[in-house]
Amino acid sequence: MVDAARHPKITVKTYTNVERVEGYVGNFKVQLREKARYVRADRCNGCGECAKACPVEVPNYFEMNLAPRKAAYVPMSQSVPLLYTIDMDACIHCYKCVDACGALDAIDFSQEDKIEWEDVGSVVVATGFNHFDPSVIPEYGYSQYPNVITAMEMERLNNSAGPTTGNLIRPSDGLNPKRVAIINCVGSRDKRFNPWCSNFCCMYAIKNAILLKQANPDIDLSIYYIDIRTPSKGYEEFYDRAREMGIHFIQGRPSLISEDPLTRNLYIHSEDQALGKVIEKEYDMVMLNQAAVPQPDVDTVSSILNISQSPGGWFMEYHPKLRPVDSPTDGIFLAGACQGQKDIPASVSSGLACASRAGRILHSDEWQIEPIIAQVWEDRCVSAEGKQCGVCAKACPYGAITVEKGTAALITTAKCHGCGGCVAECPHNAITQMHYTDAQILAQIRALLAEKPEEKIFAFRCQWCSYGGADLAGTSHFDYSSNERGIRVMCSARMDSDFIYEAFRLGAGAVMYSGCHPQDCHYITGQRVGAVRADRLLKTLEKLGMSDGRFRIEWISAAEGDKYSRVINEMQQTINDIGMQQILAENAAMRPELEKRSRRMYEVPMVPEASTYSDKMVIAMSVKEVKDGK
Amino acid sequence: MSDSPNQEELRIGVYICHCGSNIAGVIPPAEVAEWASHLPGVVRATDTLYACADSGQSLIKEDIKKYNLNRVVVSACSVRMHETTFRGAVSEAGLNPFLMEMANIREQCTWAHGHDKAGALEKAKDLTAAAVAKARFLTPLEFITVPVTKRAMVIGGGVAGISAALDLADQGIETVLVEKEPTIGGVMAQLNKTFPTMDCSI
Repeated sequence: MVDAARHPKITVKTYTNVERVEGYVGNFKVQLREKARYVRADRCNGCGECAKACPVEVPNYFEMNLAPRKAAYVPMSQSVPLLYTIDMDACIHCYKCVDACGALDAIDFSQEDKIEWEDVGSVVVATGFNHFDPSVIPEYGYSQYPNVITAMEMERLNNSAGPTTGNLIRPSDGLNPKRVAIINCVGSRDKRFNPWCSNFCCMYAIKNAILLKQANPDIDLSIYYIDIRTPSKGYEEFYDRAREMGIHFIQGRPSLISEDPLTRNLYIHSEDQALGKVIEKEYDMVMLNQAAVPQPDVDTVSSILNISQSPGGWFMEYHPKLRPVDSPTDGIFLAGACQGQKDIPASVSSGLACASRAGRILHSDEWQIEPIIAQVWEDRCVSAEGKQCGVCAKACPYGAITVEKGTAALITTAKCHGCGGCVAECPHNAITQMHYTDAQILAQIRALLAEKPEEKIFAFRCQWCSYGGADLAGTSHFDYSSNERGIRVMCSARMDSDFIYEAFRLGAGAVMYSGCHPQDCHYITGQRVGAVRADRLLKTLEKLGMSDGRFRIEWISAAEGDKYSRVINEMQQTINDIGMQQILAENAAMRPELEKRSRRMYEVPMVPEASTYSDKMVIAMSVKEVKDGK
Repeated sequence: MSDSPNQEELRIGVYICHCGSNIAGVIPPAEVAEWASHLPGVVRATDTLYACADSGQSLIKEDIKKYNLNRVVVSACSVRMHETTFRGAVSEAGLNPFLMEMANIREQCTWAHGHDKAGALEKAKDLTAAAVAKARFLTPLEFITVPVTKRAMVIGGGVAGISAALDLADQGIETVLVEKEPTIGGVMAQLNKTFPTMDCSI
């Protein structure tokens, strides 16, 4: 901690929130809000006279609210920076701190939040995790029985820098407990709360047990566990040491903690798998080893940085094995437990890995980005003819498009991230996207629906989420119907209505319109542009007489392989339920209207080759129609 | 303009990867290659044991020269796995990297349809055909080069953030470490001793 603050190349900004992140790899702009401390950082010397003078006491969250702090405070004596803060929610404006500070004159009640922008080439996200609140588990009585405490409360009570200077006492009577139980997997591996193993708690239980046993060899210590997991270097040996010290390990998840209201002692009711029977044991104190859970503000952070979340709310890495610290956004990296539950060695390793990954970029003078950007056909843009339009500019999440009457829309290349929203929204087909042109996408749709289209489930997927979801379905070997045929575009914003019309015009059995969940969108609001269009499409297709379920809108993250396979299988079931006759009849009935609607696709300036290709497809279709007797 | 007229004769090479038994255990890659060889514009189609291995990449590079290929389609795994690999391979042979297109016949085909071999084969053919169809319209593109601001930001001052910031700074990179609380340290600072070595947390 101190090394970081002292390092000449590091600027530490505490009490500061990140509010906005703009830009792209090598060129991020980050808006910070430095909250008012009401203490001048350039004058405060950390002497603490203000806190001594302050008459207000509030619970100190740093001590898990087991001890008070003043309204003028530092969270702990080793705070870095050692700089006092006045908690304005608690302050009664008596100004005793101002007097106590005296000539130093560091207290400044006129201070306001400071907004500033930082230019950086790379961002490492290390926003950490939170502890599960066990008061939602009724059978353990936390917050009801004073001697049932959490792991973090134990941490402070057992800490020489904590409120009791490391003297472990019972909250009910201040006596030293003689019989202590630790219950593992509280909120972890419990389908009611969190399905995951929280990774570090087995070791954490053993650590606390060893510390307590070392401090008091006569203490009776039991750890209730489902499995003991000690897979890292030196961990199993640590577990052996605990057993040799006489710590009891009881395999079983306690079903109930009850309290003797007179003694405030606790009874744990549990199965003991080694004995094969139900046991009930009395303790003076019980520690609940809480699950690690994502931070409560994870949704805000993920939308500021456009990082997807895995199920449960951990940040999603680009690839679980090959790029474990990369976020899907080039130049943004994930360190520590924000990406998933980690112990200290794993957190440090991922932090160091991020430094190396970011260093790759930051040691380069230039960085290359994919040229998958939008371009305007100036002769097609109606703005150039002096007409009012600007639809493209409205669809752009990055403000990259300038529209002025009399000139064609102008796209600033450096600002364009290549979602393709403007391309699909443009009512005049005046914008194209490099590497994802209309001609390229239509060619794919036509190739995939060339044979038995009515049996096919056509899936439009975005590069970042639903394509990743489909990958994960495969990696996890979740079988789904092989009638699925999918293409990939960068964002659901690129999924032009005409592509969907074209898929149905060609006779698709069902179409899925899929992309990221709104908060995960890689292009800020791209998904919303896509979602609005998809809802409109659904209504149109319903009006045209299409059966329910043949067009589905599904937001599937890269972590939801199970959802991808389930949705495809459900769509297969829908096709089966509706029946081929009905699908063919609906398609035939819809075709004239679809042809009218998707006619503009043929206006796309295609290479001569492309028209030959589409002609061939049209011919192939007519042949098929003849065969089908239409 | 990516849809601008492009009159050159198409010479597409198609490579169907076995990926050991990951793909070949479900579908016969040679059959897909034989089928793909009849697609319009395809002048070379073959199967390969591991397209991503040196031997597979060499084959593609040699073929680009031998058959004068101007588009390459690799039917193998996910683009998230090896798009960069194959873009690199074709550009080493002098072809623009954006003239390479992949079909995902592993994650999104053989791995998902292991129990439906006939269906998987049909799908692998279709995915390959779609990649070939797209390849017909590919145009050469250049990467956009952007300048790099040689500063880093680390959001969160816990043990992971501090480690990242220190290492970046030791590399000589100016680093801003942002923490929402009044002190850095995170959960680590609240801990007593740490396992398994029982050293102090701060």
